[in-house]
Amino acid sequence: MNQRDLELLSSYLDGQLKPSDSARLEARLSSDPNLRAVMNDLREARSLLRRLPSRKAPRNFMLTRKMVGQNPPMPRAYPAFRFVTSLATLLLFFTLGLNFVGPQLASQAPAYGQGGGGGDPEIFAAEVPATEAPAATEAPAAPSAELVPLPTATLLAEDSGRIAETPAEKNGLSDESAQPDAGQAQNAVPFVPSAWQIVLAGIAAIGVLLMLVMRQLAINRWRQK
Amino acid sequence: MNEEALIHDAQAGSLDAFNALVLHYQDNVFNTALRILGDEDLASDATQEAFLSAFRSITSFRGGSFKAWLMRTVTNACYDELRRQKRRPSVPLEPESEDGEEIDSPRWLADPNMSPEQRAEADEVEHAIQHCLNNLPVEFKTVVVMADIQGMDYSEVALAVRVPLGTVKSRLARARLRLRECLQGFSELLPATFRLEEGTST
Repeated sequence: MNQRDLELLSSYLDGQLKPSDSARLEARLSSDPNLRAVMNDLREARSLLRRLPSRKAPRNFMLTRKMVGQNPPMPRAYPAFRFVTSLATLLLFFTLGLNFVGPQLASQAPAYGQGGGGGDPEIFAAEVPATEAPAATEAPAAPSAELVPLPTATLLAEDSGRIAETPAEKNGLSDESAQPDAGQAQNAVPFVPSAWQIVLAGIAAIGVLLMLVMRQLAINRWRQK
Repeated sequence: MNEEALIHDAQAGSLDAFNALVLHYQDNVFNTALRILGDEDLASDATQEAFLSAFRSITSFRGGSFKAWLMRTVTNACYDELRRQKRRPSVPLEPESEDGEEIDSPRWLADPNMSPEQRAEADEVEHAIQHCLNNLPVEFKTVVVMADIQGMDYSEVALAVRVPLGTVKSRLARARLRLRECLQGFSELLPATFRLEEGTST
């Protein structure tokens, strides 16, 4: 059995031969038992394959928009909202970080100076009135609360007495008690005001909400098409 | 189903139109992949990959037989899968028992609508045929699956596998003869209705 005859027989089974070729092959088949046997083999193999049951697909192979990387078209303003929201979020975290780290760095700076130089009494003395000044200005509030007017001469005498006492009192204070006061004063004034952070948080939150709404509307419109 | 209109819409980017084509052809595509690969999981992967690839390249379809075009895509996906299997031969295509013998009735051949006897009979025939298909060279297997299992004509097969018509005829004839020779080894397993006459070929 040569290759040419095998192809002829296979094509004959599928009705792919020209009528003239079919007639010639049929004449040979009637006289050649070997050729007939091979044709029977091919026919049986073909018949078995065609009886093979067709399997149903085990699941649906439909594609999703995610699989093909399709996204709904977003409104033109969407990128601008995304940019503003991202920027506000970044700035918010930056200011939070700055307010957290800044005072710590600032409080460490004088400590290094004090430790290294051993503390210059003149400089230290010069700083004292500055830190005590608010206390001196707050002092008159106590008498005013009592709503009892005092003679001006008495007030002047008391004030001059207090001013005279201040250096003596300050010199009596230890370094340990002075240092926390300075730290608290610095903590009380953050690098970035809280109002700015609230505004940034508001912009970020509103931006995220608007983006979600825009996205949902775009998806709904897209599905309806 | 207006296939032409669906193809046109899919080419314009309509995923819904393409999914209508998927629903129509998924059994054919899956069966082709299953017979070429001989494993349901691999065939599922190849089918999904073929549809994804078909959607991405549907603008390259210029008319003619859409089924043949789709079959070319699934054939490529199967070839890719076979290449991957060759690089990483981890799971045997035929299920085997602990002592290395093939299990006659793997689960993927089961059809819940058949009686146990019918199922056993069909399982044996199907398993025998799949075993012989697995032993064919892949280019022969692809042609015989498309022509004899999918019922495609020669020109469609030639289009799908991108070979001349003469090559399709040659491969098909040789594949059928090899299958016949292989199936003779299963003659005792095959039921009477399927049993082949032994010793007819020379």
